[in-house]
Amino acid sequence: MSAAKRVQQWATFARTWHIFDCKWQDPYQSANIIKKYLMGLHKPIYHPMNDCGDVVVCINSREIALRGDDWRKRAYFHHTGYPGGASWTLAWELHNKDPTMIIKKAVYRAMKGNLQRRHTMERLFIYPGEEIPEDIKQNVSNQIRQLRLVPQRLDHIPEEEVQQYPKVMEYPPDYVLK
Amino acid sequence: MAFVRRFMPILSRLVQNTSSNQHQKIHRWVAPTLRELNRREDKNGGKIISPRNTYLEWNLEAELFAFGKRLKEDFDAALLFQAFTDRSYVIKEEMKQKEIKFDIKMKDNRELAEDGYKFMDEYIDLYLQAVLPKFPIEGVTGIKNHLLSEKVLANISFHLGTKDIILAAEYPVDNYKLANTFKAIVGALYRSSGEERTAHFVRDFVITQLQGQDVNEFLHIEDPWKLLKELISKAGSNIEPRLIGQAGTNTLLACYRVGIYINKEMLSAGFGETVNIAKEMASREALKKLFGTQENMYPINFRLKGIPKTNPEMRYQIAAS
Amino acid sequence: MSNKNLFFKSGFVRAPLQNGVGRYVCQLQRIVFKFCKSSGGSRGLRDYIEQDLVQFAEQNPSVVVYLKPRRHRSPVAVAEYLNGSRVWMNFNQKTHSEILKWIENLRTQQDDVAATRLRKYQYTDHPSIQGPWTPFTFKDPELNVAELPNVKFGANNRLPKTATEELRLLFEKQKLEDVKTAE
Repeated sequence: MSAAKRVQQWATFARTWHIFDCKWQDPYQSANIIKKYLMGLHKPIYHPMNDCGDVVVCINSREIALRGDDWRKRAYFHHTGYPGGASWTLAWELHNKDPTMIIKKAVYRAMKGNLQRRHTMERLFIYPGEEIPEDIKQNVSNQIRQLRLVPQRLDHIPEEEVQQYPKVMEYPPDYVLK
Repeated sequence: MAFVRRFMPILSRLVQNTSSNQHQKIHRWVAPTLRELNRREDKNGGKIISPRNTYLEWNLEAELFAFGKRLKEDFDAALLFQAFTDRSYVIKEEMKQKEIKFDIKMKDNRELAEDGYKFMDEYIDLYLQAVLPKFPIEGVTGIKNHLLSEKVLANISFHLGTKDIILAAEYPVDNYKLANTFKAIVGALYRSSGEERTAHFVRDFVITQLQGQDVNEFLHIEDPWKLLKELISKAGSNIEPRLIGQAGTNTLLACYRVGIYINKEMLSAGFGETVNIAKEMASREALKKLFGTQENMYPINFRLKGIPKTNPEMRYQIAAS
Repeated sequence: MSNKNLFFKSGFVRAPLQNGVGRYVCQLQRIVFKFCKSSGGSRGLRDYIEQDLVQFAEQNPSVVVYLKPRRHRSPVAVAEYLNGSRVWMNFNQKTHSEILKWIENLRTQQDDVAATRLRKYQYTDHPSIQGPWTPFTFKDPELNVAELPNVKFGANNRLPKTATEELRLLFEKQKLEDVKTAE
């Protein structure tokens, strides 16, 4: 194979490292997107036997947002294998113990239950906060867009922008805001 | 596979349609029988393949005529016969004739081969220069050497059906004799039909072997970046390489993309496992664009008629290192 | 699923020696007809030889035809091709018209078609003209200099416009119109 063809193949099958910010995201919705990148379904060269999956680094997994009453009512099941080893852990308890587990289980559940699943999960890195190890940070070259809107806190908007923002009406000067 | 084919008469009784049916019933005694036959053949020193001209159904005159017609060329019969006689055969015949004290002069194909080789050399040079106008001379010579190499000529010769007709001392005929025979055929055609017909013959059989091949493989450049800088600096522009993409820098499967920019405009881009390799491949790509042989170039024209004339203007000169 | 144990070799659609690119060369080299002069099974082949063989030989001067009349043997044709493969065909009890069609088949194929399973029905030396896909093909070049994670690349940009955003855009448009009218 000539050098040109060799580097062309190297480039086509190169593995990109994506980063995904889990702040305020629903883990099960984002798991659908993340699994596509992990399995390589976003690539035109996809084939299940091709090993074309990319690496995804999830940050801020401590800030995920479950829907409705899930924090209080969703329970995660675990059995040690021994008799009497069944345990049901609620979502908030699990999140307190290990903030990365919920999104990890969500991605695992989203994938197809075949033998490639455990291998593909190895490509997922989850960090509870903003800090990532330096060498992983250097690898990252793409960002996956979030699904849900992250609302902006009103008191976090800079002053000048607040003053310059167009107003439909002005409150009268003696109006008291409750 | 040939063993199974030998048992086709028996197999065809089982299945109605032989030639198109691919799911046949092969009896369980077929494999052990073939294995035993194979073992016996090996014990006797391998399979005996007799040359085609020892068969009962063989007519050398008819074969030579058909050979000429297959190539749609009119050969002079005596020249064609001379082209197919190898030196080893002539020596063998002379030894035999010494014993019988019978003397018929058989001409061998060495002179014809030399003539043919000389013609092919010049013609292919002119043709490639006409068809790849910006490609450097070293590249043209490289392609020509590849086309006239023993392997390629032997392959062409084999697929034209010369292996059965060649008169040689030993069978099966080796690559050298096949290549020689092909050159001799070109020589014979040159003497019988003239320049233009021989030119078209060489074009249709030898030069078309370039179809599907990457022409740049035959031009060896040691330092493409240095060469590119020399060629561009003559035109007076400034050239710079820039990193335009990377994936997985700390991993084993790191991939870098380097682009070459002339006066802030991109000329070419290349990938690589390290930044240096990427830069080298980008400069190679840029050189390919300059020489007009990039991957999506217009296909080589295999239909030029007659002997093409050269245009020495646009050709780049790579300084001999 | 794997091909290792099957007798039939597999291959791709290829033309030997770039056949059509230069001139076309008929790949059939020679046919050997073996038949019996009197038995009933070779009647079709005998009719073919009497009526159509000379025309075949005239029209295809590049094919050498050998005839082998052998007593008490069934009619057979062996076709040899330029790449060395041989096709053995049994013509026993075949009619004249069938033999005509089979010989036309043998003349136009290149080597034994039934011996190779085609893996694909197309072949090309240049599968891509614009170049194969790489992860860099549709990537925004601004990502190269961006410090990831970045809100610009991370936030969802496909959400529908909010009412506040619509109002703000209206305001901006009005401001521009005011500036134009002022000019």
